Amino acid sequence: MPISARDNDTVLRITDVDVFHGTFQALWNVSLEVRRGEMLALIGANTAGKTTLLDAISGVLHPARGTIEFEGKDIGGLDPYQIVELGITQVPEGRRVFPDMTVLDNLLVGSYAAGARRKRAESLAIVYDLFPNLSERKKQVAKTLSGGEQQMLAIGRGLMAHPKLMLIDEMSLGLAPIVVDEIFKVLGKIRERGITVLFVEQNVNRTLKEADRAYILETGRVVLHGAAADLRENAKVKKAYFGIDECEAT
Amino acid sequence: MDGKHTIRTPIVASLVIAALAAMPLAGAPESWLLYIFLFLIYLALANMWNLLAGYAGLISLCQPAFIGLAGYTMTVGTWVGIPWWIGLPFGILAAALFALAISGAVFRLSGVYFAIGTLVVPEALRMVFYLWRPVGGKMHGAGAGYMVKGIGDISSGSIYWLALLAAVGSALVVRVILRSRLGLGLAAIHDNERCAASSGVNVFSLKLYTFIVAAAVTGFAGAVYYLYQGYIEPSATFSVKWTMTLLLATVIGGIRTEEGPMIGTVVVVFLYFLLARYAGYSLLIQGIILIFIMLLSPRGLAGLARKIATRPFMMRTGPSFKGRRAL
Amino acid sequence: MDIVTPLVIGIMLGGLYGLVALGLSLIFGVMKLINLAHGDLVILSSYIAYALLAYLGIDPVLGLVISIPFMFVLGFVIQRYLLGKGFAISSETPLIIAFGISLVLQNLNQILWTPLSRGLNTSYSAMSFFIGERQFPLSYLLDFMAGIVVTLALRTFLTRTYMGRAITAASQDGRVAQLMGINTNRVYGYAFAIAMGSAAIAGVFLGMTFPFTPTSGISFLTIAFGTVIIGGLGSMVGTFFGGVILGVFQTLGGCLFGPASQMLIVYVLVFLILAIRPRGLFGR
Repeated sequence: MPISARDNDTVLRITDVDVFHGTFQALWNVSLEVRRGEMLALIGANTAGKTTLLDAISGVLHPARGTIEFEGKDIGGLDPYQIVELGITQVPEGRRVFPDMTVLDNLLVGSYAAGARRKRAESLAIVYDLFPNLSERKKQVAKTLSGGEQQMLAIGRGLMAHPKLMLIDEMSLGLAPIVVDEIFKVLGKIRERGITVLFVEQNVNRTLKEADRAYILETGRVVLHGAAADLRENAKVKKAYFGIDECEAT
Repeated sequence: MDGKHTIRTPIVASLVIAALAAMPLAGAPESWLLYIFLFLIYLALANMWNLLAGYAGLISLCQPAFIGLAGYTMTVGTWVGIPWWIGLPFGILAAALFALAISGAVFRLSGVYFAIGTLVVPEALRMVFYLWRPVGGKMHGAGAGYMVKGIGDISSGSIYWLALLAAVGSALVVRVILRSRLGLGLAAIHDNERCAASSGVNVFSLKLYTFIVAAAVTGFAGAVYYLYQGYIEPSATFSVKWTMTLLLATVIGGIRTEEGPMIGTVVVVFLYFLLARYAGYSLLIQGIILIFIMLLSPRGLAGLARKIATRPFMMRTGPSFKGRRAL
Repeated sequence: MDIVTPLVIGIMLGGLYGLVALGLSLIFGVMKLINLAHGDLVILSSYIAYALLAYLGIDPVLGLVISIPFMFVLGFVIQRYLLGKGFAISSETPLIIAFGISLVLQNLNQILWTPLSRGLNTSYSAMSFFIGERQFPLSYLLDFMAGIVVTLALRTFLTRTYMGRAITAASQDGRVAQLMGINTNRVYGYAFAIAMGSAAIAGVFLGMTFPFTPTSGISFLTIAFGTVIIGGLGSMVGTFFGGVILGVFQTLGGCLFGPASQMLIVYVLVFLILAIRPRGLFGR
């Protein structure tokens, strides 16, 4: 599929990247673009390599081949903390809040990076505004929160790093649809603040409704990408993910 | 690694063993026999520690317990009329049973907790044997030591050959285990314990068998040592010094390699005698060597030798990454 | 039978044990590493204090002004260049490297200071104080107070400073801590350095209370282990209480069963806790 002509402001550009876990290759020749201010979805089954890609962007893994550029700068070989300083933050799969620390402490740790630390009061205010129930539970120990609250805490923690780009890994896992709706609403507000969001999901239907564009990964390769609306109509997607066969449809 | 080696190694090994066995008969000087005796005992102990820590993932710090229990069983036996050559097998049995007894408790601990748990055991036994007089009489002063009775007429050659038996036996035990189903299971556990468990590998029993076997052979070597020394007392017997020597020998030589303990024991015994006059220096140097080896060649001298030997045949196995590499 | 005296002594002694164990607990909690060299590092501090006292006449507690920064830097270096590199190789490697450091320290001390036992004898270290009719060594009380101070200081540091929170976070989830922008390598270095700082303090107070030799490190390592096991990981306050419990068990045990069996009671206790509740009494 041709890359769209309106290639305005590309915030993150991944070009022909291979990523290994030890000797096992998880990503093959992956290319991806994230444009400023958009909601980009990364869709795929469990073993498709989505988390691996996020880890490569965050610096936890390094590409064996290819480049990852953030705002024009090559970040492929940097350490995770350096990438956070540059403005990319990851909300990891499974929430992974620090279980024995309070909500407030979790948020404060999120602003550890030097640049973020200076703005922490401001960031805290924003987070409490977006997530009022976190503000109520400042002193509560994180492991006692519900799944939905933990997810909100994880996102809030990511916001404390004052990011330009937020990577969110499988946030709807194990959460009730109502809670997922709320979180998507918050993501919308985050976008309004100018933060670009790349989120990873397995729930294709919902995802294509919320995202601007999407990439579909299968066993470590990009098999399809484009505007969400286009993908929803795409026959292959329909068959693979919705189980609808053109011949069967009315 | 196989191929030519499968024929060469047993031949070379047999020649070496035969040569070593012949030494007492050939009238080799006592000091030589002593060096080799110590080498053989430490080798047996190191092989077992390598089996536990390197292959079974059990960083056991309670080897002195097995050494001491076997030694004490044999020694106390000689005080109640049981000759040493019957007491010795009983000592081995005692060590093995003890391993079985504590396995229930220590195996519930994983990783570092296992190491701590096993560290405490010899200390506790030291206290026990310090306070407890199984049979009457004492060595000197307030000590709780015992002489080994009825060994006046054993030739040093016999004791030497027992040590040789222990060393060769330990090497055989390691070889047999590694090539058996037990060894396969251990390799699976080393790779990924949870996967192994869910594939039907009975992790607990495999570790238990290995633990018991290692305890038995360790006990054997320990008892032979005390047969040679002629007396046994708690603080040197249940001392962490044994553990230190074993760890050094195994790691310097190359943990998780079959030839590692041999190389390492040579280095350790060599340094020990070279620097016997300078008490602290030998261990100081060994400590420094240990640190360097772990950082530069984690597979020890054996691993280093292997790297050099196979260098022309190395292919690029792929990119290198920041992060953990498996040992 | 008077159990009040052994009880009080046990509590105070426990304070010293807790003080010694704090550094070990911190490192274990943060890096999941048993620092086998911990006891020897504490004794190193005792020897440094001894040197300052014997050759320069500096009071050991004042000497901390020199030895704390020294141990701090030493700790940072050990973590950064030895143990840290070890972690990248395998999870057993740092343990073995720590063991190597322990060997080096023990024998270095033995060469420098001979196996003769030494003590930090100041004007006040041999004094006693009285509660009612009972007499207690002043040094024990000083140990207990030092233990409380350092425990609280560490706890405050861990919960109220950015670096402290980073250390706590890294100990609960290292990978996610990295995603927060925490340079875990550097943070581990600081954690180790701080643990060494507390070891420096422990060494001084230990030296004023008991005579020490180059091999004293092992005995105190075992006691520190016991303390950490009983008190549980990840909690400075828990470790301190663990020390007190251990101390009380030791003295009461000695009172009831005779002095020779003191340590045996302790080992049994440690083993029991390991078997029943490995997390320790206050651990996570």
